[in-house]
Amino acid sequence: MTFEHCVRCTICVENCPIFKVEPKFPGPKQSGPDAQRFRLDGEASVDEWVRLCCQCKRCEVSCPYGVNVADIILNAQLKYSSEHFSPFAAHLFANTNYLGMLASQFAPVTNKITSLALTRKILSLMGLSTHLPLPEYRFLSMSRGRRKKGKGLKKVVFFHGCYLNYNRPDIGRGIRDLLVSLGCRVVIPHQMCCGLPSLGNGDKEMALRFAKKNAATLVEYINKGYSVVYACTSCGLTLVHDYPEILKIPEGKRIAENTYNVHEYILGLIEDGYAKIRFGEVNKKLAYHIPCHLRALGIGYPAARLFEKIPSLEVHILEDNCCGLSGSYGFKKKNQASSIKLGEIASSVILKTGAEALISDCGACRMQLGAFSSLPALDPSQIIIESLQNAPGQTKQ
Amino acid sequence: MNTHEYDAVVIGGGIAGFLAALNLVDAGFKTAVISRGDPVCCLSTGCIDVLSRALDPLKTIKELPEDHPYRIVGKKGVTESLAYFIEVMKETTIPYRGDPKKNREILTPVGTIKKTCLVPETMAHAPGNNEDHIHIISFKGIKDFYPSYITSRISNTEFSVFDAKSVSTIGIAGRFEDKDFLRNFISWAQDLDIPYGKVALPAVLGLNNPMEIVKELSSRINKEVFEIPTLPPSIPGMRLFRALKSVLQTRGGHVYWGKTVSSVERQGPRIEAVTLAASGRPSRVYGRAFILATGSFVSGGLFALRDSVKETVFDLPVFVPGHRKDWFNNDFFTPGHAIEKAGILIDSSFRPKESSLENLFVCGSIIAHSEIMKNQCGHGLAIATGSAAAKKCIGELS
Repeated sequence: MTFEHCVRCTICVENCPIFKVEPKFPGPKQSGPDAQRFRLDGEASVDEWVRLCCQCKRCEVSCPYGVNVADIILNAQLKYSSEHFSPFAAHLFANTNYLGMLASQFAPVTNKITSLALTRKILSLMGLSTHLPLPEYRFLSMSRGRRKKGKGLKKVVFFHGCYLNYNRPDIGRGIRDLLVSLGCRVVIPHQMCCGLPSLGNGDKEMALRFAKKNAATLVEYINKGYSVVYACTSCGLTLVHDYPEILKIPEGKRIAENTYNVHEYILGLIEDGYAKIRFGEVNKKLAYHIPCHLRALGIGYPAARLFEKIPSLEVHILEDNCCGLSGSYGFKKKNQASSIKLGEIASSVILKTGAEALISDCGACRMQLGAFSSLPALDPSQIIIESLQNAPGQTKQ
Repeated sequence: MNTHEYDAVVIGGGIAGFLAALNLVDAGFKTAVISRGDPVCCLSTGCIDVLSRALDPLKTIKELPEDHPYRIVGKKGVTESLAYFIEVMKETTIPYRGDPKKNREILTPVGTIKKTCLVPETMAHAPGNNEDHIHIISFKGIKDFYPSYITSRISNTEFSVFDAKSVSTIGIAGRFEDKDFLRNFISWAQDLDIPYGKVALPAVLGLNNPMEIVKELSSRINKEVFEIPTLPPSIPGMRLFRALKSVLQTRGGHVYWGKTVSSVERQGPRIEAVTLAASGRPSRVYGRAFILATGSFVSGGLFALRDSVKETVFDLPVFVPGHRKDWFNNDFFTPGHAIEKAGILIDSSFRPKESSLENLFVCGSIIAHSEIMKNQCGHGLAIATGSAAAKKCIGELS
């Protein structure tokens, strides 16, 4: 812990979305470094408000002194949860992995049921927020599709995460095929949830179980010369940061060193001269809502760098607002008011740009901001794919 | 290892770093800004002090000691850079105004009058004298803003208090983003029947588009409305930082946030690349030229040991005024502690003196002899030296 390095400058407070809209949350400075000196080993946690943090990591990114504010708070949340009863909603979302598996198995029925007014009433009684429609599930999840595709020299193991797997396998398959078309051999191994929903809902044990299984799978491929590629920036941050730092997975460091954001990976293929891509025109004006966790990854904005290569495309980068959904945070009734306020602020900034659609790497941001702005919400890869399709002639390897 | 290649790499995402990067991007160079976190500009009033101790900042430059960075930039350079800054800010939601030849006055939260040069449009109507009658609107329980400080010092003032159901400046500013809240607030303010011509509020009028709120409030209550800068967390400082960052990105500059430089690669007299630390794979950022804009002690550009001072990125030689016992005055609040002179000595090309590095340029408060507290020249110095260092860097790159 480096909480002693905090000089109390309040820059983290300026960056905290929850502090901005939820008076009960004392902000990252007080929840993190200030309170840390009172969190002694062996003493019971009394800081229930620490659970109000949505783990966007904006505090940590903004800290000029390198204090790991978000990690301090996450560990305090886990400690509090391990000592106290967790509400039903937290248990439910900690199980995103199994929830997705089950919901996708009976997808048409699931979607019907979750859209019923009665169901929504019951969910609301169980502590779930119903300000957004629950995400629709797809039967043909990625885990049911082809597990290997492409014969290129570049070997990729694709970590799709739960959202692309169960809710938007069409985007997931698009990314897989995009990588194949650029000369990659893509493998989609059997994988568990990254573990972030479990961490965010106070279940470290479960997160650790998922992480250990994923780590074993991924390391096996890394040893065979594969690179791990993710599209969901929250899964990515969990693999790269939480595995080694929070969950202390022994192979964590090795996984982190070999894991790439998909657009970062594609940029690498272009810069190495491996993939010669001709980008076709995309005549659109887009607002790019940067997910908090992409900022926290500290890799810059690789999709934005690809967009710079696309003719006729106008992109506004918006990075100062959290969408407010923050994974399962906004799906809990106690957080609903904050989530709505933040969604309204972020979408008003998007609408001001006059963009015809919004893009974001994160499925949760797209769900929330698509609903609040009523604009089409796209994954960056969909724009890249459109550009390649519009290119004169074929993509050459 | 990831690699990124740029013409120019700016280390430090404060005002100096942004101004340098903007100049470079405008000249057509591929530029990146690397920042360890948000800059101390976020803690400032958002006003641009050029030389607030004097009445005419530009004229006073020649009275500064010869080794002061303003003397190296020159009066013409300072004037041009401030004009450039005003042009840049016109593109944002917080335009700036002011005259570099004549400082103006603004009201502080403790009821004193402070001189400054350029102010955000939201403070434009701050009175320039003690005769104006001002009605202050404060917020119930707001931290570090006590209107009675002002009313006890300035006789023509009175105040009322609105309950925004939040006690922090950030929280209240967040409320102002909500249309319903704004409507309620305005109708409450209309009912006050304020007799005075000017209405002042702590600087909490929204985060994203404050001028829209100032204008709406002003037209609905038919008064001149202005903001009073507050103690940190300071909304005007944050707005300034975010606006500069957004313009840079719109013009094609790249930013890397939350990143510390962990190592530097040199090839003879040239810096080839810097490596950024990461949980996972570190990235290596190549540049044809580098600009150091990491700031002074508070920003972490300089680090004081018991009896010496270190520069934290390139380990450049640091000028230190004498022995430790000479660094400080006995009275904390006396301006002009000698340690304020500490920093990197630069030559007329903004390269560090006493170092053989050819492609490194230095700007902002890390430059030796800045004496920012004494001269009250923080943001102005950042703007002037950021632009000047970038111009020298452009010369090197072209």
